[in-house]
Amino acid sequence: MANIDALRQEVSRVLSEKIVDVVLGFEAGSLPTRNQPVFIHKAKESKRLVDNGFGSNNLAALLAQRPKDEKIGVICRGCESRAIRALTVEQQLNRENLYLIGVPCRGIIDWRALERAVDGEILAVAEDGEDLLVTLKDDEKKLARAEVLHSACRNCRQPDPVGTDVLIGELPAREGLAQRSPDVAAFLGKDADARYAIFSEEAERCIRCYACREACPMCYCTECFVDHITPRWSESMVSKGGTQAWHIIRAFHQTGRCVSCGACERACPMEIKMEYITDRLNEDMQDMYGFEVGANDSDQPPFAAFSLDDRNRFKE
Amino acid sequence: MSAKPHFFLFQCQYCLAASDDQHWVENDLPKNVKLIKTPCTGRISPMFVLNAFQSGADGVLISGCMPEKCHYIKGNLGARRQLDEFARLLAYLGMQPERVRFVWMNVSERGRIQQEVVDFEAQLAALGPSEKFAAISASGNAGGRYGQY
Repeated sequence: MANIDALRQEVSRVLSEKIVDVVLGFEAGSLPTRNQPVFIHKAKESKRLVDNGFGSNNLAALLAQRPKDEKIGVICRGCESRAIRALTVEQQLNRENLYLIGVPCRGIIDWRALERAVDGEILAVAEDGEDLLVTLKDDEKKLARAEVLHSACRNCRQPDPVGTDVLIGELPAREGLAQRSPDVAAFLGKDADARYAIFSEEAERCIRCYACREACPMCYCTECFVDHITPRWSESMVSKGGTQAWHIIRAFHQTGRCVSCGACERACPMEIKMEYITDRLNEDMQDMYGFEVGANDSDQPPFAAFSLDDRNRFKE
Repeated sequence: MSAKPHFFLFQCQYCLAASDDQHWVENDLPKNVKLIKTPCTGRISPMFVLNAFQSGADGVLISGCMPEKCHYIKGNLGARRQLDEFARLLAYLGMQPERVRFVWMNVSERGRIQQEVVDFEAQLAALGPSEKFAAISASGNAGGRYGQY
């Protein structure tokens, strides 16, 4: 957890020294379990910034809409810094216009899991080390932070920000980070019929609001395949074919690009699991092409590149 | 529904060097095989493959050129990466991996496509009809423009 005063001080400094025009971070939302993204334009506004486990958006998703020549500071955790790197490699962002303020991350709290874990309305939540102190109407409850962590953060392989300009606070010692998604391994452990049953059960709950697409930092196409009229790539109705096609192709377009931040799952009103597909595709890309998203500033995603070395794989 | 499996043949228009092979594919394919001819395998979007399955096909056969023999120099290399991974994704989500097959043609392989079509049909017949991913809606219009197969 970054020292919030140090963070606000740094934001005030870069704004008053005109290093950046605007800083993107989180402020408290309308509910105690929700944060909302905020653009800080003036140094004195920096006191609005908060740094707790409720920032469920990926801030990198908001950068694509900003003016191209704006100098912008971003308070970034591991997943945001990786998304920014991947977007820079794909030439969607100009790294020179960005000032990345790295903060250590302790994972994002799944507010739905928190609400299920307590009875009644949550009035306030305070973080105390590894515990959460939840204030209810006439009660107070202590919960372990790890219990209500979002699954994407529990499986996170790289919580520390990379390639930042400045780091606020100290990075905690990390140990025992899973290198492979346990969700993928569990899914693969089932037989084909069970896998299809799980996938179709998940996909068919979809109401096609596209909140996952809007929350995703890597979904920046100006026209999505589902919005095409001619040709109509997939059924646009909320039907078996339509929702399955959306979930398959959405995930496939993230192959070797998904930064596994889990913003799509947190944005989903139907609580549909999506990471188990994209994580598997990323693991394939790592196994076959040795590619890891956001690992460096130069490698193109495997589908944007190809090599004659692939020729051996043509022999079926 | 007849006992014969229905499947799509996606064919790169340059992969059959022999003109009588191309003539056979265009005119004499069995009725249960639907031909989609493309300029290059690089043109085959994974969405074509998904739409084929959603409209009730039992399998997809993709025929393209060997690496370094691509008319467009590198179209098949990009296609190979994408389509191969897409087939793996469908298998991960529960489809039998044998339902998608790639045939990479060499210039000298005259008459191979006929054999591949027969082999693939036999393989699909052994697997039985595909039920997963088929999504023909009440209107009869399934994923995309192909309509009821």
